[in-house]
Amino acid sequence: MTLAVVLESDTTAALVDPQARRARFWSPRRVATPIVVAVVLLALYLWVANMTLDSIMQRTLNWDYILLRTREHLVLTFVASALVAVLAIPAGIVASRTRSRVLRGAILTIANIGQATPAIGFIILLAIIWQIGFQTALIALVAYSFLPVLRNTMVGLSQIDAHVTESARGMGMTPNQVLLRIELPLAVPVILAGLRTSLVFCVGVATVATFINAGGLGDMIVNGLKLQRFPVLIAGAVIVSCIALLIDWLASIAEDVLRPKGV
Amino acid sequence: MTGFDLSGLLAFWAKRHDDILSLIGEHLLVVAIALLLATIVGVGVGLLVWNRPVGRSLAVTSAAVVLTIPSLALLAAMIPLFGLGWTPTLIGLTLYSLLPIIRNTVVGLREVSPAIMESAKGMGMSPPTVLLRIQLPMAWPVIVTGVRVAAQLTIGIAAIGAYVGGPGLGQMIFQGLSSLGSKNALNFALTGTLGVIVLALIVDGLFTIITKYTTSKGLRA
Repeated sequence: MTLAVVLESDTTAALVDPQARRARFWSPRRVATPIVVAVVLLALYLWVANMTLDSIMQRTLNWDYILLRTREHLVLTFVASALVAVLAIPAGIVASRTRSRVLRGAILTIANIGQATPAIGFIILLAIIWQIGFQTALIALVAYSFLPVLRNTMVGLSQIDAHVTESARGMGMTPNQVLLRIELPLAVPVILAGLRTSLVFCVGVATVATFINAGGLGDMIVNGLKLQRFPVLIAGAVIVSCIALLIDWLASIAEDVLRPKGV
Repeated sequence: MTGFDLSGLLAFWAKRHDDILSLIGEHLLVVAIALLLATIVGVGVGLLVWNRPVGRSLAVTSAAVVLTIPSLALLAAMIPLFGLGWTPTLIGLTLYSLLPIIRNTVVGLREVSPAIMESAKGMGMSPPTVLLRIQLPMAWPVIVTGVRVAAQLTIGIAAIGAYVGGPGLGQMIFQGLSSLGSKNALNFALTGTLGVIVLALIVDGLFTIITKYTTSKGLRA
């Protein structure tokens, strides 16, 4: 009880009354995103449905093809993100536990260089030295999102006010209890923000997976371009953009729902 | 499966250094032009909306939506309008740069302490003068940080621009892909990728200097 008070007085969020919190939850953007996506997809459908398609366009602008590519895209995105969550968050916790400043500095430096690496270069390099296909794309996605999530976990844990962990220890908590009951809940917003970024990012990188024969909606874009069928290209680009917006929207809701109440 | 051969890579660099250097130059140029355009537009929009809640959230939200769109999709969707080449890359990079620049401009302008603005007003300055002569210089370091973030972002995205006929090191990466199986495939892709990383790190360093010399003298630490 005492601890909860200490924590709440430390965060400004505690000062927001429930009504204001609800108003913030249903922000204009929160409400508008699904509506805009639905309108855009409906417009795309009407545009394509009222178009006379030649045989080349018919091969890609049909439900079976589009649903197959969408499924490939979503599988790639979610499997990669789930693997990243399972691997990078524990790694981040371990890395932030370490006493060695050198190791921590090295991880942050590598994470920064990793961010400067172009996704397209990384995925193509991996395809050249290993093989093309779905597995390569998956590994590239995981390796690429691993460092940002790990770094966010470390940053989230390190930015916690030392007074808070100290009072927790003063109350007789063991280091593990401090980690699980104090530090991790306080770091959740930062960790979730990292996961959200990596999720949206995975949708984007999964688009270029088409270059190494890993399927996904990038196929539609590239086919449309190669065969000079712009409706195919536009349909692929619009659908993948809508997926990115929807996933970002879902992740933002998850962020709000999963955030511990006091934070 | 292609093995790595350092002497082969060095020979590759020795033979093609002209190509590599001109691609690096193109890459820098397209990023620099996009950043310049985005800075003009982004700071302009920021100056217009910083004090208007509706306009502010509209500007930041639309820029955030653009950033959510996968880069291949945005770049490819512009081909029917602008054709292949520099134009779609340039426009795409400019659009992607807007979010960090607008957001940082708005944050920077709003962070100026009300006491300072009050004293400027007391000295007889009109609101536009306060905005341009007091707030903008004080917000400048924050704005440059936004441009710096945009630079990191666009240097990477520009590599994908090569697919829509854009300039720069992405051409080497895609050449590596299209020569998959040949002995130079790895050299092409590795040169392109390393080039982008080095470029990103150098530009990041440059921004430290840019921030220092474009910040108003009174604010320099």
